[in-house]
Amino acid sequence: MTAPMGIFRGRGVALALIAPALAVVGLFFVAPLVMSGVVAFRGKGGEFTLEHFRKSFDYYTTDLLFTLAIVLLSTLLIGLVAIAIAGYLTLGGHPRTVAVLRWLYRWPLFIPFVVAGQLMRTFLAKNGMLNHVLIGSGLIEPLSAQSLLDWRGIVVAFVWKQAPFVTLLLAGAMAAVESQHIEAARNLGARRLRVLVDIVLPQVRGTLLVGLVLSFVTMLSVLSVPLMINPNSPTMVTVDVAYRISTHGDYPVANALCLLSLALAAIGAVFYLRHAAAQVEGK
Amino acid sequence: MPSYLSIEALTVSYGGPPVLDRVSLDVERGEMVALLGSSGCGKTTLLRAIAGFVIPDSGMILIEGRDIAHLPPEARGTAMMFQSYALWPHMSVADNIGYGLRMRSWKKDAIAERIEEMLKLLQLEGFGSRSVTQLSGGQRQRVALGRALAVSPHVLLLDEPMSNLDYKVRLELRHELRALQQRIGITAVYVTHDREEALTLSDRIAVIDTGRIVQTGAPEEIFHRPTSAFVAGFMGADNALDLILTGDGAFATGAATAGGSRVRAHFRSDAARLAPASAAASTGEDLVLQGIVAQSVYVGQGYRYRVRADGAEVWVHAPERVAEGTPACVVVPRTALLLFPQDSKPA
Repeated sequence: MTAPMGIFRGRGVALALIAPALAVVGLFFVAPLVMSGVVAFRGKGGEFTLEHFRKSFDYYTTDLLFTLAIVLLSTLLIGLVAIAIAGYLTLGGHPRTVAVLRWLYRWPLFIPFVVAGQLMRTFLAKNGMLNHVLIGSGLIEPLSAQSLLDWRGIVVAFVWKQAPFVTLLLAGAMAAVESQHIEAARNLGARRLRVLVDIVLPQVRGTLLVGLVLSFVTMLSVLSVPLMINPNSPTMVTVDVAYRISTHGDYPVANALCLLSLALAAIGAVFYLRHAAAQVEGK
Repeated sequence: MPSYLSIEALTVSYGGPPVLDRVSLDVERGEMVALLGSSGCGKTTLLRAIAGFVIPDSGMILIEGRDIAHLPPEARGTAMMFQSYALWPHMSVADNIGYGLRMRSWKKDAIAERIEEMLKLLQLEGFGSRSVTQLSGGQRQRVALGRALAVSPHVLLLDEPMSNLDYKVRLELRHELRALQQRIGITAVYVTHDREEALTLSDRIAVIDTGRIVQTGAPEEIFHRPTSAFVAGFMGADNALDLILTGDGAFATGAATAGGSRVRAHFRSDAARLAPASAAASTGEDLVLQGIVAQSVYVGQGYRYRVRADGAEVWVHAPERVAEGTPACVVVPRTALLLFPQDSKPA
């Protein structure tokens, strides 16, 4: 009778080992999510209702689209910037430039979103550093200087903050591409840019996708940047959520908006899972 | 007339001590030259310098009289076959072979035609649409060769292309590669550390030791008339002895004998004979070493014996079995001895 007892005891130990992790996920992730769902669909009398969603769409359809557009555009630009930097780090011909770039590009990783937002405010404002430089160098007239603190500012802040993250992942993956693969292509007449497009990128596609999906989801949830750069309508959904709660104490609509954000994030998750499934099949 | 590929006083140092030290080499059109040497001798660096992946400190690399030493790899018209084949896993066999043509802006149907031609040449018909990850080692090697040959390069560069293959496949491909190279008459430089491969594959061999070419010549010449103890050892004459050559043409071993000149003698284990111990002494004809069989190894075609003789250890090949510990003598014909002057006294 010792063997079944042993198995039983083994199972108990296993459960005990994962219990803390399960408890954390359950308490801090699953429970709030379920609560959020419940609140979003519950009327004043406790009945089921779609009223909060109707309200959300009535007031915030523009903001939802604005959010999606900003995040998609940022994701695209992040991809391009990351490919350019990681590509140069992998294929660049000047070791010194590569070393400097490798050292420089990571800095934004260590800067919180709220600080990034503040930096952009001073950088992109009408009297900001960017316009000072442009006017000083004679590129624009002082009168035509305009503030970039609208959707453009948000995009710039997002790309500035997230591109290094994707670059970090991408440069790692590119470094793992066999150097002979690159040499073989150059040997057959491919210039560096062709090597990047034909040989390197196809082999790191998966990593790029994962990095972009993670950035997409991260940017959806950032409050500080839109709040500091562009708090007026149209703005991002996170600002609306904060406004519903802090000004109106309106948790049901805030929760409905959160669930809608979750639906947007799910688009990214679908891409991610598809890629993961394809990888499993590939093996 | 200058050679087709000419390397003149090429020096490469990677910022440290030179990896290649004023190396010069001429390769004629249609010739296959093997760069032979042990690992780390600089042979692969020389190949990579020709391909443009290594920038030389000084010297010239000329193809038909044009210096290409400072051109980027893509502008040189060389094609390299890599040790790991370096086939692109995200492309089909046909896409791999056709890539170089695409870079040369060939028309689609011309590329397709050339790919078919290559597949036929390499006996890979019907493999065009396969993924390269589904191929065996030998097939991958052929695809890599096809990719290099498709662009009709000025010079084909081969970096130990057989080292990842099974022995049997290697033997087959070696003969195929040689026949193919002769048939299409392409100029090729082949890097290897395998002397058998170098001997069977090439028109000429350049033996490289610590960044210098120490001897260049036809395989027979390198094999039979090595000009240095290093080349002799590398070409299989790995029994080495210090001898004293006395005035009357006889040999003596050891350091006791006065007069005569000191030489370093190399000989192959299969050129010597194992004979029963006797009182025979070295003559002008044969070198005779008295000793004891210290070890015997069966090698399929007979035995190899390690014989401790006159303070030295030599390996001898013999067809019959002799017990370890048996006194015996080793007889080396004069003609089988490769003698090199000794620069310095042995320590």
